Amino acid sequence: MSGILVQQLLNWLTLGCIYALIAVGFSLLFGVLKVIHFSHGDVALVAPFFALAIVQAMISSAAGTIDPASLIIGCVVAIMLTGLLGVLLDWLVIRRFRYAPPMMALVATVALGTVLREAVRHLFPNGSNPHAFPHLATSRIALPGLGEVPTFSVLVIVASVLAVALLFFILHRTTLGVRIRAVSQDLEAARLMAIDPSRIFWATFFIASAIGAVGGLFFASYAGVVRFDFGIQAGLIGFSAAVVGGLGSMVGAIIGSLLIAGLDTIVQATIPDGTSYRLVFAFLLVILVLVFKPSGLLGRVIVEKV
Amino acid sequence: MSMASNTASTAVSRRPAAVDLVTVAGLELGAAAFLRQFLVAEDWRVIVAILAVMGAGFGLLQWRPQIEQRIIDSFARYRVFAIVLGVAIAIAAPVTMADNSYALHLLILALLYAVLALALNFQLGSANIPNFATGASYGIGAYASALVAIHFGVSFWLALPFAAFVATVFGFLLGIPSMRTRESYLALVTIAFGVVIHQLLNNFEWTGGPNGLVGIPAPTLFGHSFASPIEIFGLSLPSQVNFYYLSALLVVVAIVSAHRLHASRVGLAWNALRADELAARCQGINVTWYKVLAFAVDAFLAAFAGTIYAFYVSFISPDNFTFLVSVTIMTMVIVGGMDNILGVIVGAFLLTLLPEKLRVFSDYRILFFGVVVILFLIIRPQGLFPQRLRRYGSEA
Repeated sequence: MSGILVQQLLNWLTLGCIYALIAVGFSLLFGVLKVIHFSHGDVALVAPFFALAIVQAMISSAAGTIDPASLIIGCVVAIMLTGLLGVLLDWLVIRRFRYAPPMMALVATVALGTVLREAVRHLFPNGSNPHAFPHLATSRIALPGLGEVPTFSVLVIVASVLAVALLFFILHRTTLGVRIRAVSQDLEAARLMAIDPSRIFWATFFIASAIGAVGGLFFASYAGVVRFDFGIQAGLIGFSAAVVGGLGSMVGAIIGSLLIAGLDTIVQATIPDGTSYRLVFAFLLVILVLVFKPSGLLGRVIVEKV
Repeated sequence: MSMASNTASTAVSRRPAAVDLVTVAGLELGAAAFLRQFLVAEDWRVIVAILAVMGAGFGLLQWRPQIEQRIIDSFARYRVFAIVLGVAIAIAAPVTMADNSYALHLLILALLYAVLALALNFQLGSANIPNFATGASYGIGAYASALVAIHFGVSFWLALPFAAFVATVFGFLLGIPSMRTRESYLALVTIAFGVVIHQLLNNFEWTGGPNGLVGIPAPTLFGHSFASPIEIFGLSLPSQVNFYYLSALLVVVAIVSAHRLHASRVGLAWNALRADELAARCQGINVTWYKVLAFAVDAFLAAFAGTIYAFYVSFISPDNFTFLVSVTIMTMVIVGGMDNILGVIVGAFLLTLLPEKLRVFSDYRILFFGVVVILFLIIRPQGLFPQRLRRYGSEA
């Protein structure tokens, strides 16, 4: 294969995986809550700020450049903290809208996203300005048959596959997963089976937010910077990918992400000045898909919904 | 239904007329004075006190629903008087704050947002269609009128219907995918539409790109330029008052159309859609047509507001019409009260003025704003003024 093609394919997969990590959370939360958690993108993009704060705290004690070890520790802790943040938001706000009309809950989560963004902006030192986010991997790696490829792409793809595999393992091979799927199928019946719904909601929030955090970290690393308002765009794209695939379907969310990322890559590679129009094409695709498949690509086809 | 209206009407007849008259006049004058104080207040203690009084007022209504009912009855009894007094207050309002151009500016913005919220209310409130693209229609209206005014020298009065026409065409276009999609999927279609419009305005060269359009000429009427102050009875009112009256007139048009539509078959059909789309379809209601119609009406009104905004500030950029603007309009409808004209207007005023008045909290105001919205949603989940049952016979 020619080098450029490999490059573009990897680019596509990298972007697709980043989007998928965020989209899967939307879909998972919708499956269980039946509500769009609109601030999910903002939650995911808090993770890089957590990581930066932790890394900076560790540097100030050791005095030096960012070493890989502290970066890894920072990222792992950030993922955990973001998961807990998701649970906290549910406990503070979202659970109060369990039985409210979905529109109320939607607007509440939109307002919640605003609060999160502003909180990051004011609580993080110098939060209004863009912050450089370290590249998780800058080197290139030689792969058999493909030549030299950026390590970052390989890292993103491998990590995403692992994260999604872990998610599927939890959902389909553990008791917790059975309970999550039960609540997603029928809340009342699950309650009758002695499942405590609020614990399931919290577990779902933790899992979705933690996976979103992985996506957020990659998102920031891919861009090289992180800003307090990145969450809007990440959230819109992740949400679109989840809806195009069909809300509630994990596989759909991944397919939707790859589709949007694919179009994104093609537009950037082929149309001159395409970068400024990438969102236009992505969202025209969204409209087009929904015109022909009103409930997403895998919306009703899959009986099992999680 | 008829039982309820009977008891209401007997309660009215038992009370002396003067009490009702005083209630109506007192409430309208009191609300106007209250709003004026809120507009001109700069001391943060005054603003907090005003917010507290308002909170207490809504708390009282929540605690004693019969008070709300009495007020409603008084207004029903003296409708004409209430309308005449309201119009008189609206006309006199700018005189009382002629020296405060910032307060006037806020008032005009609040009026324009009230129109936008009323426009969205046709969809969200009446028909439960989540439309996240009202900001885009607003932008299309503003850009369409500004472009023809700048490039072809078209006057404001011709640009206005032109902008409304363009936006309505886009509204129909947006309505087409809505025929098949519903709920979250429909919400995404409108979000996507809004983002596409915003990105195009931001990227096209002929829309001025991110820099926007500058130098939109001020409208003139019978030789009087809207950029010059109004001279009347030896009184000189700042030029903004021109736009205040224009926006106020638009709000009146919006209220009248909202009222007429609500009372018509169209409003009934929209309410049927809200209750149950499938059942409405089974009753022979052309669901598709009424959905698309709701999009068109929303776009039509939003374009009017957009045109006035463009000519008022004489500068527009894509940043005025982002996704967040649409979200704000949606929040106004939901916080104020869905399908309740007064509620929607109060919501629009509150959410336009609140961030400005929270400037005392400087950088934290948007944070505070988000918190207040969430609190409102939690405390009064039906909105400040809940949607009311349709009453037949007792009104009009």
